[in-house]
Amino acid sequence: MVLEVKHLSKRYGALTAVEDVSFSLAQGEILGLLGPNGAGKSTTIHMLLGLITPSAGEVRVFGLRFCDYRKHILQLINFTSPYVSLPLRLTVMENLRVFARLYNVEHPQKRIDELLELFGVGALRNQPVARLSSGENTRVGLCKAMLNNPRLLLLDEPTASLDPEIAWQVKQVLLQAQREFGTTILCTSHNMLEVERLCNRIVFMHHGRVIAQGSPIEITRAILKEERSEPALEEVFLRVARLEESAP
Amino acid sequence: MKIHRIQAVMIRHLYEIRRNADRITDMVYWPILDIIVWGFFTIYLAHGGRGGNRLADFLLGAAILWGMFYAFQRDLAVGFLDELWSRNLINLFSAPLDVTEYLCGLVVVNLIKVAAGAGCASLIAWTCYAFDILPALPQLVPYMLNLMLFGLALGVFTSGLIFRYTTKVQGLAWSFAGLLQPVSCVFYPLSALPRPLRLVASLLPTTQSFEGMRQVLAAGAFSPPRFWCALALNVMYFGAAAMFFRWIFESARRRGLLVKFE
Repeated sequence: MVLEVKHLSKRYGALTAVEDVSFSLAQGEILGLLGPNGAGKSTTIHMLLGLITPSAGEVRVFGLRFCDYRKHILQLINFTSPYVSLPLRLTVMENLRVFARLYNVEHPQKRIDELLELFGVGALRNQPVARLSSGENTRVGLCKAMLNNPRLLLLDEPTASLDPEIAWQVKQVLLQAQREFGTTILCTSHNMLEVERLCNRIVFMHHGRVIAQGSPIEITRAILKEERSEPALEEVFLRVARLEESAP
Repeated sequence: MKIHRIQAVMIRHLYEIRRNADRITDMVYWPILDIIVWGFFTIYLAHGGRGGNRLADFLLGAAILWGMFYAFQRDLAVGFLDELWSRNLINLFSAPLDVTEYLCGLVVVNLIKVAAGAGCASLIAWTCYAFDILPALPQLVPYMLNLMLFGLALGVFTSGLIFRYTTKVQGLAWSFAGLLQPVSCVFYPLSALPRPLRLVASLLPTTQSFEGMRQVLAAGAFSPPRFWCALALNVMYFGAAAMFFRWIFESARRRGLLVKFE
């Protein structure tokens, strides 16, 4: 297993952000972490990266306990989110050079050039990050996330702010990485159609707990409690969100 | 610790100097301005026959050394604030980088910045006010190192406070060293302070270093007791600051603050 999450919990005093979350991820799998806002998706990803210390539970990456092998594991994985940024005054190229050095990437200039072209942002290499649009920022963030050819890629809404054409291109790049290098991907998204097409398996979270996990069709059947022949994650999402609204 | 990760932090902050006019202003503008003001003041003293050349040397030497100490403390905290302002902390600490490597990279860049600022100030002091720091430099270097070590301790402590209380207390990056100036005996000897404050002052590495500096400029004599006393105090303060920062950093991880900075 590339990733094993066992009984992971995070409590802030009386507030429980994540409770008893367990799932695993095999090599080359693409797993979608879904749920309404406040479901605990980002907290879970941040715990997987060691940015938040769990209150209970264990994270193992490549069979190693994260807390014992933090640096070794972080060298082999990477992360991006549209909600974090790179230093704003530095140019795209300067930022990627910094992170290439941080991850000790071999032939950094070649790798950076490849990625800039792959994500269609080659023309922006000398632009300060502060001048980029949100979609361009998302793509530069993806370049950063792919710099070290990660074996496990954690993506928080990887296609947020992208127009459908660019979002499609990004998906193709991720699928190519999965096919060619066996990259394992864990992503969150609010675009249910995209999740249905991209992910082999889904973990659906609500109020910090896993309420269902399986393939998109299994999730659809489990939450809608109906026999369906096609996945309908949008409906699943709305059902869960409306349950919350109608709750006393 | 890996050298490539320290280099990455250095490259990041060297690029920042190149791209950010504020950093260049901090690096050379303020040290130059300070020395010009103090230089005119020493000319005024000399014309009035007050204190003579020795007092002028003490003031200009103190202005250069205080500038180094202040810049070192400020730039360490501001370097850290740069990551906070650009929301880059998550990128950095989701990479295989640890706080010690980050600090090492920042310290090396700060040494370069401080050397550039002090170099400019010394050049102006020499050309405009006939104060040549070079002959005394070998004996002043140990005191300078102590001042920068104390600047590092204060910078780490200030960064810890910013970590805990976020950008609400970012003003400390520029003001914390100033708080210690009155009791650091920068421009006057320890004996000038009221008796109750002397004990407090003598517990600061800055006081020991500036007293030592005056001995060097007055008699060309390096005082090992002052150096060792300042070093011992620095080891204590730096140890305390490092423990404080580590405690705050782990607490920020537990409380989820690392991902919530704005």
